[in-house]
Amino acid sequence: MSELDRERRELATVLQRPGVRPDPLLRITRRTFVHRSCLTGAATVAQTFAWWPLLNTIDVAYAAEEPFKFAWVSDTHLYPKSVNTRFVEKVQRAAREVQAMNPPADFMIFGGDLAQLGRANELELGVELLNEVKIRKVFIPGEHDWYYDMGAKWKQLFDKPNWTFDHKGVRFIGLDTVTRGPDYWTVRKMSPEERMDHMATLDGSVAGPWAGVGRDQLDWVQKTLADWDKARPVVIFSHNPLYEYYPPWNFWVRDWREVNEVLKPYTNVTNIHGHVHQVLYNEIGTMRSIGMLATSWPWPYAPEGVPKLTKPMIRADPGDFYDGVGWETLSMNKDRIETQYVMWGRKEVFVQSPPDSSLSQPEILRPRIADQIWPY
Amino acid sequence: MKTSARFTVVLTRPCLVGALGVIALVVGPASANKDPVTPQQLKAYEDAFMEQVRIGDLLFHGDAALAKKMNVVLTTTGMACAMCHPFASDTHPQAFPKYQVSMNKFATLRDMINWCIEKPNQGEKIDSDSDAMKALEAYIYWSNTGSVLVPGKY
Ligand code: HEC
Ligand SMILES: [Fe+2]
Ligand SMILES: [Fe+2]
Repeated sequence: MSELDRERRELATVLQRPGVRPDPLLRITRRTFVHRSCLTGAATVAQTFAWWPLLNTIDVAYAAEEPFKFAWVSDTHLYPKSVNTRFVEKVQRAAREVQAMNPPADFMIFGGDLAQLGRANELELGVELLNEVKIRKVFIPGEHDWYYDMGAKWKQLFDKPNWTFDHKGVRFIGLDTVTRGPDYWTVRKMSPEERMDHMATLDGSVAGPWAGVGRDQLDWVQKTLADWDKARPVVIFSHNPLYEYYPPWNFWVRDWREVNEVLKPYTNVTNIHGHVHQVLYNEIGTMRSIGMLATSWPWPYAPEGVPKLTKPMIRADPGDFYDGVGWETLSMNKDRIETQYVMWGRKEVFVQSPPDSSLSQPEILRPRIADQIWPY
Repeated sequence: MKTSARFTVVLTRPCLVGALGVIALVVGPASANKDPVTPQQLKAYEDAFMEQVRIGDLLFHGDAALAKKMNVVLTTTGMACAMCHPFASDTHPQAFPKYQVSMNKFATLRDMINWCIEKPNQGEKIDSDSDAMKALEAYIYWSNTGSVLVPGKY
């Protein structure tokens, strides 16, 4: 059995214990709304969500004090305008649409990977573009934001990489899952550019298992939740998923066992994460986990480990920059949280039949080698 | 010219479990100049292949200096193949040739490599027999070692 298989089995036994599910009072349904404006062709901006041809939602029951919405945008991977205007345009579009939400979102969470290569001008460009969004904004970092200057610019712009606040009966926690990567650069005497380039290569083997929460931060989470009723809703934002999906691409946090230990007593936890650039849904013990789209480009599903509870998104058309990408709104109501994927240029976010899915062509892949034998 | 071969079949005595050992020696004509492959040769052949895999891997991951040296423009947008195809996933070499919807034609893997160079990467189409193309192909195939051939699959 490979190391990966062993970990998967452990994950299944440790996290997915029989009979343990998110709060049994809560029912999860998946719905597709065909919006009226679509049927009549009479969309007006004043109409709620009039710009969506179709809304695909994952509904999760919830217990917020009063209904509200918030918006998620992440993985914009901005290059300077001189390199690439395509990503810039997509951020502008997302910002416009978030700002136009009616009723407005209570806040916007930016889920990391604002920049592509962690440069100050990329991060500043992101701030400038997101200035179009006037509602409250909160930020967590992605690995692409951090490893050029080890977070110096990011912290100057956005302050702390982890934080918490309460909103209408929900405790929100922003987690930092990217800044505790093992030091792969010092002994290799890498320049900041080289360090960043390795970190920016999703399938690279040099940066290693960089995604993690860290004992210090877990203690902080534990402290943060100590005064919180175990049954009350908690929403955790993180860049990486908090379980093990596909470690070779850091579609995980390496300390998922400890994370699970800390969160286990809380029965109403929802984790919302970026990094995977794809639709994902999973239940880990009593926690739900929802993966968000990027605005920049979609990633294919990993060749193995896709949670069984995930209804996959469609395979994207590489000729259409607006395909397979977008942003999300999450509405919290007394009894549910609805995730609405706003995927540009798509009538259906989810696959309708196997051929719609990249997973319908089984692949057996091997890791790359050039970054091991090239003289880095 | 007539090729002849001499067969020497040695039958050993049946051993205790009753199996019959057979050793066949096939010997070529005295004038033959082809030697059996040696481990050194095998290694050289494999090295020749892996060197192409390595070059393809670097091109696929956006090594700008190497692309320049090989005189190809694989991208102008800062996008590299691996940004959408980590581990060369979703390139599906095992499915080619096939009818490619995006191109509306019966296409080869090389056609599709070029299509992705031109569309998402907005680079310049490369010669389908060029060194860069062969290296990209080598990397994509090597990465998919183990994937089952399903030619024509959508
Ligand atoms: C912006 C993302 C993106 C980039 C960059 C990109 N591709 Fe693609 N490519 C895709 C998508 C999406 C598909 C469609 C996959 C599918 O249909 O399952 C695709 C399809 C392909 C296919 C055919 C797979 C099939 O089953 O039809 C090949 C081969 C391919 N790409 C090679 C490359 C190469 C080589 C590069 C770099 C020069 C590259 N791609 C760059 C997104 C990208
Ligand atoms: Fe990302
Ligand atoms: Fe990321």
